[in-house]
Amino acid sequence: MSSTTLGAAPVPAVPPKIETPFHRFVAEFAASPIAVGALVVFAIIALVAILAPWIAPQNPYDLAVLDIMDGRLEPGSVGGTGITHWLGTDDQGRDMLSGIMYGLRISLTVGAGSALIACLVGASLGMLAAYAGGRTDSAIMRLVDLQLSFPAILAALMILAFLGKGILNVVIAIVVVEWAYYARTVRGSALVERRREYIEAAQCLALPTHRVIFRHLLPNCLPPLIVVGTMQIARAIALEATLSFLGLGVPITEPSLGLLIANGYEYMLSGKYWISFYPGIALLVTIVSINLVGDQLRDVLNPRLKK
Amino acid sequence: MAGTAHAAAGALLSALVLAPGGARAQQAALTMAVGAPVTSLDPHYHQLSPNNAAASMIFDRLVNTDHQSRMVPGLATEWRVVEPTVWEFKLRPGVRFHNGQEFTADDVAFTIARVPNVPNSPSSFAIYTRPIREVQVVDPLTIRFRTEMPYPLMPMDMSNLFILDRQTHEGAATEDFNGGRAAVGTGPFRVVSHRNGDRIEFERNDAYWGDRPAFARVNYRMITNDAARTAALLAGDVEFIDQVPTSDLAKLRGDQRVALSEATGMRIIFLGLDHMRTDASPFVTDNNGQPLPRNPLKDVRVRRALSLAIDRHAIVDRVMEGAATPSGQYLPAGIYSHVPGLEAPRADPDAARRLLAEAGYPQGFRIQLNGPNDRYINDSRIIQAVGQMWTRIGVRTAVEAQPWPTFIGRAGRQEFSAFLVGWGSNPEGSHPLRNLSATWDRERGWGASNRGRYSNPELDRMIEQALSELDDAKREKILQDAQRLAMEDVAIIPLHIQTNIWAMRRNLAHTARADELTRAQDVRPAAAATSR
Repeated sequence: MSSTTLGAAPVPAVPPKIETPFHRFVAEFAASPIAVGALVVFAIIALVAILAPWIAPQNPYDLAVLDIMDGRLEPGSVGGTGITHWLGTDDQGRDMLSGIMYGLRISLTVGAGSALIACLVGASLGMLAAYAGGRTDSAIMRLVDLQLSFPAILAALMILAFLGKGILNVVIAIVVVEWAYYARTVRGSALVERRREYIEAAQCLALPTHRVIFRHLLPNCLPPLIVVGTMQIARAIALEATLSFLGLGVPITEPSLGLLIANGYEYMLSGKYWISFYPGIALLVTIVSINLVGDQLRDVLNPRLKK
Repeated sequence: MAGTAHAAAGALLSALVLAPGGARAQQAALTMAVGAPVTSLDPHYHQLSPNNAAASMIFDRLVNTDHQSRMVPGLATEWRVVEPTVWEFKLRPGVRFHNGQEFTADDVAFTIARVPNVPNSPSSFAIYTRPIREVQVVDPLTIRFRTEMPYPLMPMDMSNLFILDRQTHEGAATEDFNGGRAAVGTGPFRVVSHRNGDRIEFERNDAYWGDRPAFARVNYRMITNDAARTAALLAGDVEFIDQVPTSDLAKLRGDQRVALSEATGMRIIFLGLDHMRTDASPFVTDNNGQPLPRNPLKDVRVRRALSLAIDRHAIVDRVMEGAATPSGQYLPAGIYSHVPGLEAPRADPDAARRLLAEAGYPQGFRIQLNGPNDRYINDSRIIQAVGQMWTRIGVRTAVEAQPWPTFIGRAGRQEFSAFLVGWGSNPEGSHPLRNLSATWDRERGWGASNRGRYSNPELDRMIEQALSELDDAKREKILQDAQRLAMEDVAIIPLHIQTNIWAMRRNLAHTARADELTRAQDVRPAAAATSR
C-alpha cells in the first residue's frame, strides 16, 4: 500500500503517466459495467427521492388529500380525485407511487444520516483506540465486542422500546447498533498506518496530536471506511425498513417503505399484491444498487484484492 | 382427519348431484378451531369470552341466553320478584350432572357461595353475586335471593354464572377443573380430555335436558395465528373457525368450499374525548401549534362537528370490509333498551364546518387522535380514516397508534385529547352507560371506563333511577331516554358495532351469536339447517 490511494496524499513520488489518483480510481471503478449501472440506478433513485415533493402525483402524508373511498385501488385505476394511480393505492387511499417516492426519501435520509453519524462516532472512537492504545484501546474495543455480539435488530428494538417511536429515535437506534463496525474497521487500519514512517516523521516534528490524527492518520484510513460506510448505508436502510415494518419506526400517517409493506402484507392473501409488492421492489433495488456500488468500491480501494 | 374431510366432501358431492336435501351428511365428529385460547375450564375463574364459550358447552346457567343475547330459561324455568328485594327462581326438574348427580336448589346455593372464593381469579365473577345478601333454599326446586335494594338486573347476573354440583365440586380447585376431573356440569357436552392452550375433546351428553347437539364428538382446537387458522380451514384440517380476519373475508366469500356466518356483536367501537379539562387539552393546539387557552372539546358544538365529519359508512365499507354496522348509540338494534330511531349520523362535512365556525373555530384547530394498534379489528386503520375526515373539516389531525398496554395505561391517566376504544356490552343499556358515561366515582364503581371523564348529573340521576326500577318496560324507557341524552350531548362518538364472523366448510351451518361465544352446539350439518 502506498500513501497515494486518495487525493489527500502529497505528490506521488514517480508519476508514470499524467493521471491523478482520482482518475485512476474512476477508471478502475468504471471497469465493471454492473457497478456503473448500479451507480446510475442509485443516482436515479436519489434524484426521485430528492424531487419527490415536486414530481409525486400526491402528497401521501397530507391526510386531507387522502380519501378512504379510494382505498386498495388496482394499479392503473383512476381515483375519486382524478389522479391515475399507476401503482394502485393502499388501504387508506394513498397513491402507492407517491408513497414510494416519499418513502425513498425517508429511507435514504435515515440511511445516509445514520451512516454518517455512526461513521463520525465510530471512526473517532476507533482512531482514539488505535492512537492511545493501552487501557483506552481495551475499553473501547470491549465495548465494540459487546455491541457486535448483540443482534442488531434486537438491540434496535430495545432502544426504541426505551426511546419511543419517531424517525429521530430510529436514527439514534441505528447509530447505536452500527458505530462499532466503523470503530473496528478504523482501528484496524489505523494500527497499521500508525507504525509507518510518515507518522513517525510527523511525530518527530512534534506536531500536535490532533493534527497527526486528522491530517495524517485519518486520510490514510479512509478507503476501508468508505467501503464499510457504503455497505452500512444499505444495512441502515434495511434496518429502518424492518423497524417500520414492525411498527416501531415512522408515524403511521407518514409511512416509509417498511411501513408500506407492512400495511399491504395482510392483503396479500386476498390478491391485493401491489400494496406490499412495489415498495418491496423499490427497497430491493435501492439496497442492491448500493451494495453493488459498495462491492466495486471495495475491489478498487483494497489493493490486496488487486490482481 | 383426512378421512373426515373426505367423507364430508363425498357427502357434499352427493348432495349436489342427488336431489337437494335428499342426502344428509352423516357426520359424527366435528373439528373446530378458535382464535383465542381457553385459559381455564373452571367456569368461575376468569371472565373471558373463550372461557365462557367452553363453559357453556359443559355447564348450564339458571338463565341461558339465545343467539341474540335474549334471556331464555336455563336451569331455571321461571323467575319473578316476590318482594321488592326478593327474587325467586323456579328450577328445572329431572336435570342430572354428567356423573349422575341430581341438580337441586342446594347446588345453586353452593355455586353462589363458591363464586367469590375462587383463589387468584384474574377477573372475578363476584360482581354478579355481590348484590345478594341472603340465599334461601325454599324447596329442592325453588330458591330465593334477597338483596339490600330492589335489583332489576338479577336475572341478567344469573345469566353469567355457571352452576356446579355441591357433591362433586365441594373443595374442587381450579386445577381440578383444568385436569378434567371436576369439569362436570349439566351441559350438552362432557369433557373427554383437555390440553391447556391447545385443545379440548368433548363428547355429547346424550342425557341433556335441552336440544340434542348434532355431533357426538367435538375436537375444539386453539389456533391463535389468524393466517394459520384460515389456512387450516382451507386445507380441511379443521371444519370450523372463529374470528375470521377482515382481510381474508373477500377471499373466503369467493371460495366455493367455505360458508360464512355472521352476527352483529355487542362490541361498540367509539372515540372518547377529553371532557375533563376546561383549560388547554394536551393534544389540542391552534393551527400554528400553540396551545389553545380553552379546551374546544368542552363545547358540544365542536363535539357534534367532530361526529358529523365522520363517514361511518365509508369506514365500515372500506376499512372493515362490511364486517361492522355503523352506529349512533351504545347498543345494536334488536337488543333490550336499544334506542329506536337513533341512527348513525350521516356524514355532513358542511354542517360540521358551520358548527365549528359557530363555536368560534372557523379555521379549525389541530388535534392528535390516539388509538391502539393491536386490540380491535383494524384499530389503527380506523383512526387514520377518522384523521382524514377530521382534517377535511379543518381539524388537522395527527394520528398516533400504540400497542394496547401502553395506550390503555395512558388513556386511563387522561393523557389524551381524543382516543379510540371499544366496549363489549351486556344486553342492557345501564351496562355501557354506567361504565362509559356515568360520572367517574371509584367508591360506587361508576364510570370505571369513562376515560374522557364525561360528567352529566342529569344522566347520572337517570341511570340511578333505571337501576332501581324493577318493571322492565319502564326501565327500558328510562334507559332509552338516558342514552338519547348522552348521544345528544356527544358523551362519546360511536363509530360502529363489530360483526362477529365465523367460517366453516360448506357442509356445515352455524347459528351466529351476538356474544362472540364459539360453541359446538351451535354447529350442525348444512342439510339439517335447510330442513328447519
